[in-house]
Amino acid sequence: MAQSTTQIAPAPPDPGVSEADRRTLERAANGGGTFRTRFRRDRTLVLMTLPAVLLVLVFTYVPILGNVVAFQEYDPYVGDNGFVAVFHSPWVGLEQFSRLFEDPAFWDAVRNTLVLFTLQLLLFFPVPILLALLVNSVLRPRVRALSQAILYLPHFFSWVLVVTVFQQIFGGAGIIAQTLRRHGHEGFDLMTDPGVFKFLVTAEGVWKDAGWGVIVFLAALASVSPDLYEAAAMDGAGRWRRMWHVTLPALRPVIALLLVLRVGDALTVGFEQILLQRDAVGPGAAEVLDTYVWWNGVRNQDFSYAAAAGLIKGVVGLGLVLAANKVAHLMGEQGVYKK
Amino acid sequence: MTPNTSATGPGRRSFLASSAVAAAAVAGGTPLLAACGGSGSGSKEGTTSARDAKKILPAFVARNVVTPDIPSKNGSSLGFTGKLVAADLKTSVPGRLGKGSTIRIMSPFWGSPPKGDNPYYRAMNDKIGVNVVWRNQDGNTYDEKLGAVLASGDMPDVVVIPGWNMGGRIPGAVISKMADLGPYLSGDQVKDYPNLAAIPTDAWRRSLFGGKLHGLPMPSSYVTNIVPYYRKDVFDEKGYDLPTSAAGFLALAKEITSARAKVWACDDMKWTAFNAFGVLPGSEKPLGWNLVDGKLVHRVETDAYLEALEWTRTLYSAGVVHPDAKAQNQGDSGLRFTSGEVLVYNNDLSHWWARTTEQASQNKKFRIAGMDVFGHDGGEPALWAGSPAGIFAFVSKKASETVVRDVLAAANVTAAPYGTEEYMLTNYGVEGTHYTVEDGTPTKNDKGNQEVLNAFVMLASPAPTIAHPDRPDIAKAQVEWQQRMGARTKKSTFYGLQIIEPARYTHLSDDFEQLEDDIVRGRKKIGDMQRAVSDWKRRGGDELRDWYRKLLDDNGSAQG
Repeated sequence: MAQSTTQIAPAPPDPGVSEADRRTLERAANGGGTFRTRFRRDRTLVLMTLPAVLLVLVFTYVPILGNVVAFQEYDPYVGDNGFVAVFHSPWVGLEQFSRLFEDPAFWDAVRNTLVLFTLQLLLFFPVPILLALLVNSVLRPRVRALSQAILYLPHFFSWVLVVTVFQQIFGGAGIIAQTLRRHGHEGFDLMTDPGVFKFLVTAEGVWKDAGWGVIVFLAALASVSPDLYEAAAMDGAGRWRRMWHVTLPALRPVIALLLVLRVGDALTVGFEQILLQRDAVGPGAAEVLDTYVWWNGVRNQDFSYAAAAGLIKGVVGLGLVLAANKVAHLMGEQGVYKK
Repeated sequence: MTPNTSATGPGRRSFLASSAVAAAAVAGGTPLLAACGGSGSGSKEGTTSARDAKKILPAFVARNVVTPDIPSKNGSSLGFTGKLVAADLKTSVPGRLGKGSTIRIMSPFWGSPPKGDNPYYRAMNDKIGVNVVWRNQDGNTYDEKLGAVLASGDMPDVVVIPGWNMGGRIPGAVISKMADLGPYLSGDQVKDYPNLAAIPTDAWRRSLFGGKLHGLPMPSSYVTNIVPYYRKDVFDEKGYDLPTSAAGFLALAKEITSARAKVWACDDMKWTAFNAFGVLPGSEKPLGWNLVDGKLVHRVETDAYLEALEWTRTLYSAGVVHPDAKAQNQGDSGLRFTSGEVLVYNNDLSHWWARTTEQASQNKKFRIAGMDVFGHDGGEPALWAGSPAGIFAFVSKKASETVVRDVLAAANVTAAPYGTEEYMLTNYGVEGTHYTVEDGTPTKNDKGNQEVLNAFVMLASPAPTIAHPDRPDIAKAQVEWQQRMGARTKKSTFYGLQIIEPARYTHLSDDFEQLEDDIVRGRKKIGDMQRAVSDWKRRGGDELRDWYRKLLDDNGSAQG
């Protein structure tokens, strides 16, 4: 959901430097020479990255090893602690996976995750871009600052609060239903209707985080030189043509990057938000992969089973990032990384 | 909160925990067996036979410090409704038993915990002669942390585990990681700790895990603690009669409900439905089996189970249930009740007093009362007994003998019966600091309400006690309700036994609670439940039946 919050937009490529020139510049920056000489020269920098590397190793790479429990019947209580228990737990091969594939609830979760992702991509992803264009067209600094503040604010509300507010407004005893009843109409209950649940979740996401997503796009827009607009205007380009030929091309690398990241993260469609509302419509409509893992792993303590589900999610996610990145390259964009 | 109400007080999840007491991974061949074997008491999965139990269980020595005004009957708690005269308080623990160890205790806490160093904890520590360091954790999400803490190498000296948090592999963790208290308490040894010796044997029997005495119990009444509460003030004003059958309830609910006026008849009534239709308990796995005409039947296989769900479903489809209850995790059912948006809700027995005192200053007209559970057909309800002990404290296997002895010393103080100085200190704190006594009625002040909460009462408690010196009328009503319901309560086959199912069945019944909620809210059909039940039988339910059958043939039931 909050796919764009922490990504920093890369500087748009300097149009004045050709690809060949850029390669030369890079080589110069690498400095050539043997690994040893380069290491001696950069050792201060290497040292400075060490804490970060350590953190990544300890908190990201070491835990990956924990995935071996997906091939066990893991019991955390054999042996002195949870780590030792891995060595004492029996191996069961792919049994957890076959259990998983036979479980209709797992496939419900997969389906819900994909539907939600698609909905979010269609209904949520474009909103920050449109908002950014809108805010960017506001010229008076005070109005602009105010509208930005209003847009960013909902991001800082917790999900508990957002869900409660939605319940109080759209729930069966909410403001709208009660107002309708007072005027002699039937009430309604949006919050417990499995049919609209995914739209509801997407709407909540838009309300909460679309404003926050604007930041990245605004930053990209700020880097567009006013000269370009002036030149275009001189050539007789109207508002729409300026947007089409100047603004959007400037945003394209950012949009492509965020799209790649979003697609790579497709199986992550929100956790807390969904967990909070899961019981209102039942897991058939609301369970997604993350809540499925949580429910089985943390609540039912079926650790190995949950690990298997999590592993599948991770592997599919990796494939999606690679695929999306490839597509970005084919479109002539930078993507997340380049060989 | 009095100790017995805190046993039942926590969030609504406690009664729903379908994953309650479950299996431990001690099936043949796993290293765990080696880690905990060798006591000569047989296999670790299963239960402790009556013969073995006799050797392990602590002796019972009754203590009549203060004679209860209402003696226990039909499994009810003891009721105290008289005045409390400070000068008459007895001393049940002369001197200090503690040797000054530092004891780290992890325990669930409902509410916001006080500072670690506060006058209540200091006074308790001083009384016991130990230094207890509390690691209070949010009680509503306790099960989410418990597993990780038990699996870590750095487990606290004492871990408090409510019965409803003993899902999954937790009982196995108790066996492999917790100290055997038998050498300290079995038989006459318990007499070193007279207040522990006065804990009813049924509660101790529930503390036997895999043939050893592992837990310090918080005894509770086995009578159902789910009370269908109603707004007596509104019922009296409007002249509603209490329902005496399932159909009567529905008719009344339709009469009460006026969505336009923002009044709905009730909150989710699933638990009451289970009681009204005589469904076997779902709180703990073994309690859900019963021997009928020589055959073990599980609660999900009974017609009563389906009928109860169908009836609850009717309540929802008739629109008499508050919409926020339909959304399940939204808001607080207690708040909907006190604000008058619902007139009936079910919750545990402690709410009777808690709601009354809470509303005393806010809404003078407010009256809460519990209606008797009605039989679905208008006759007497057929109720089933729950567990005679709800919460347990376990000592880590790594704790030294001195620490274990100090924990027992602490438990001996917290288990002091009503009418003693120790009971007052444990449940009310220090006079003047935490409560004041006026006319024989101790009243906690703000500091008392903030500090004298949970913590020490979780360690071990006296026989189930209900006493509200500030509202003796409510204590009386609560005990009498228990006695009336107790008269209609039967014990299912495995009542009172701590049974550990084989690991392969651990997750067999995980999905039923979810399905129940889907069905009553109209998202799934009764037919889905019937399918789930036949699936359950095929995937292990029938095997599990045979397993229980063998257990019964080998060990007999606790009552036997």
